[in-house]
Amino acid sequence: MSSSLLKGPRTSLLKGPRWTELRLHRTALRTTLIALVLAAAVTAFVRWAASAYPPVEGACDGVCEPTFLGFANGEHLLGEATVQASHALLLLPLLIGVFIAGPFTARELESGTHQLAWTQSVTPTRWLASRLATATTLAVATALVLMAIFRFGASDLLGAWNMNWPDRGVYEATGPALVAYCLFAVAVGTLVGLLVRRTLLAASLTALVTGTVLAVLGSVRWQLWPVVQASGPATTMEPHWMKVLPRGAFMTDVGVTNAAGERFIARQCTPDQMAHFPCPSDTRIAGWFLDYHPRSHFWYTQFIESGIVLVLAAAAAYAAFRVLRRRTA
Amino acid sequence: MTDTAIEAAALGKSYGRRGRALDDCSFRLPAGRICAVVGPNGAGKSTLLALAAGLIRPTTGALTVLGGAPADTRPKIAYVAQDKPLYPQLSIADTLRLGAELNPGRWDAELAERVVQEGELDPASRVRTLSGGQRTRVALALALGKRAELLLLDEPMADLDPLARHQLMGTLMAQAAEHGTTVVMSSHIVGELADSCDHLLLVSGGRVRLGGPIDDLVDAHTLVTGRGPVAELAPHTVVESRATGRGTTALIRPEGPVGPGWEAQEPSLEDLLLAHLRSPDAPALLTPGTDPRTAPLAAPLAEGEVTV
Repeated sequence: MSSSLLKGPRTSLLKGPRWTELRLHRTALRTTLIALVLAAAVTAFVRWAASAYPPVEGACDGVCEPTFLGFANGEHLLGEATVQASHALLLLPLLIGVFIAGPFTARELESGTHQLAWTQSVTPTRWLASRLATATTLAVATALVLMAIFRFGASDLLGAWNMNWPDRGVYEATGPALVAYCLFAVAVGTLVGLLVRRTLLAASLTALVTGTVLAVLGSVRWQLWPVVQASGPATTMEPHWMKVLPRGAFMTDVGVTNAAGERFIARQCTPDQMAHFPCPSDTRIAGWFLDYHPRSHFWYTQFIESGIVLVLAAAAAYAAFRVLRRRTA
Repeated sequence: MTDTAIEAAALGKSYGRRGRALDDCSFRLPAGRICAVVGPNGAGKSTLLALAAGLIRPTTGALTVLGGAPADTRPKIAYVAQDKPLYPQLSIADTLRLGAELNPGRWDAELAERVVQEGELDPASRVRTLSGGQRTRVALALALGKRAELLLLDEPMADLDPLARHQLMGTLMAQAAEHGTTVVMSSHIVGELADSCDHLLLVSGGRVRLGGPIDDLVDAHTLVTGRGPVAELAPHTVVESRATGRGTTALIRPEGPVGPGWEAQEPSLEDLLLAHLRSPDAPALLTPGTDPRTAPLAAPLAEGEVTV
């Protein structure tokens, strides 16, 4: 939202509690807007640099001199920047949660301005509903814009540059999961802000909770949808699983089995028993197995994970309303 | 429109481990009064006002404001908290705009701006640059602009210099008189509100000790001085008695003529308040019409109002 909109004639979009929220946090809105413009500008520059300064054939053997802004060439800069950006996008839900819990919610209660807000003609419930709606809209918009910028910057690098679809950061930033985490941050930030009523403490707690949920769900997301299993008889020392793995698939487990189907780590047990490896001596390897998520599982895990996060967000938002209803008349 | 501004029935509010702020508090405030809520610090004045404003929920008992629950009558109530909370980053003009945005259909921009102008405040200056008194003025402008039927002001004049106090009180009283607004102001300074108010609630220890029109309350008491023993005052309710140079001075609620040997005089409001504050065991006095247990409740309630 630009300042001219806030100062201009009353439009149906900018009145009532919504005007208040946007006007009170005008500085944060402007900062966000500037940050988005900067992100777009930097991305455009890096992409331009990558096409303008491609690696020169035979310019360096092995180790390249960092001659281009500390990188070997423009393409190298783009690759590194994109990897960093994919990680930085994971911080977006934390930043949103910190802002919503601290300056947006808890500071009202800490400084007592909630007594002003709740004694106008707008009920506390409507006050909260309006803030949640505004915060949700802006959080989703910010996330979508940043995701679009990331897409633009990383368009032909996904799958290369050590960036694959299941990687942390890349995975979240290329699907609905990141938007869901941002919504979760808004809801949890609101709840914690109302409960804790201390700006710094509420902001820290929300960052902790959001970070924990991001980490926990990030580590269990590959168990949310059943893997595809491939197996075959062990004929040689080199099981040919690499030929079985589809292009772009994400391998979650690989190994060998005995006749009963028990799984062993491939390096410990091979069809031809090797000394020094802790493989039970009576094990007879009969086959190999391979667990993987094909590229098509991306959307299944994305939607299941987003669904879980959204359910948690809805629970937090409901709890926030309950807290407010219990406290005020 | 109801003729009762606030009615409390056995109202109690406790803050967990911090103890009870209000306990079995009952009173009725007729509409159109300028009511002073006085009492020592920590007596429960702020809690009472916050309950009436719908900011907090009572732990026990019930509160009816302008004939409804505080939550339902929110548009008709204006409240200024003790610390005069305002958004520091807003300009005065934007603070008043906030009042307009959050009170659609009620907001009196002209009045709010006039209150600010009388204090010679620049509407463009930010709230964080204002002095305590200037903040109070802006907070009152916000409350008056709402055109409420009930104004709840918690220690409204504490930060004001005498001139500003006189001026703001004048604006407040003029508005109240013109629109029949009920005003409830709290203070721990007894004399501060006595000139402007016609109604009194003395709160102490979480209860209402005195309630009613100031004139009626003063009339109900007599300050007597005599040489005889206090036992001679037995037929009357003795609020407080003290030994003085000329014998005994007592504040009583006479139940008939005072016996010979006792010199009677009308107490000042301050005498009345101090005597009650010094004698926490003295029975509470709510004048007829301000006691919900004796007031003709049937009349206002028959108009379809619900007590929570």
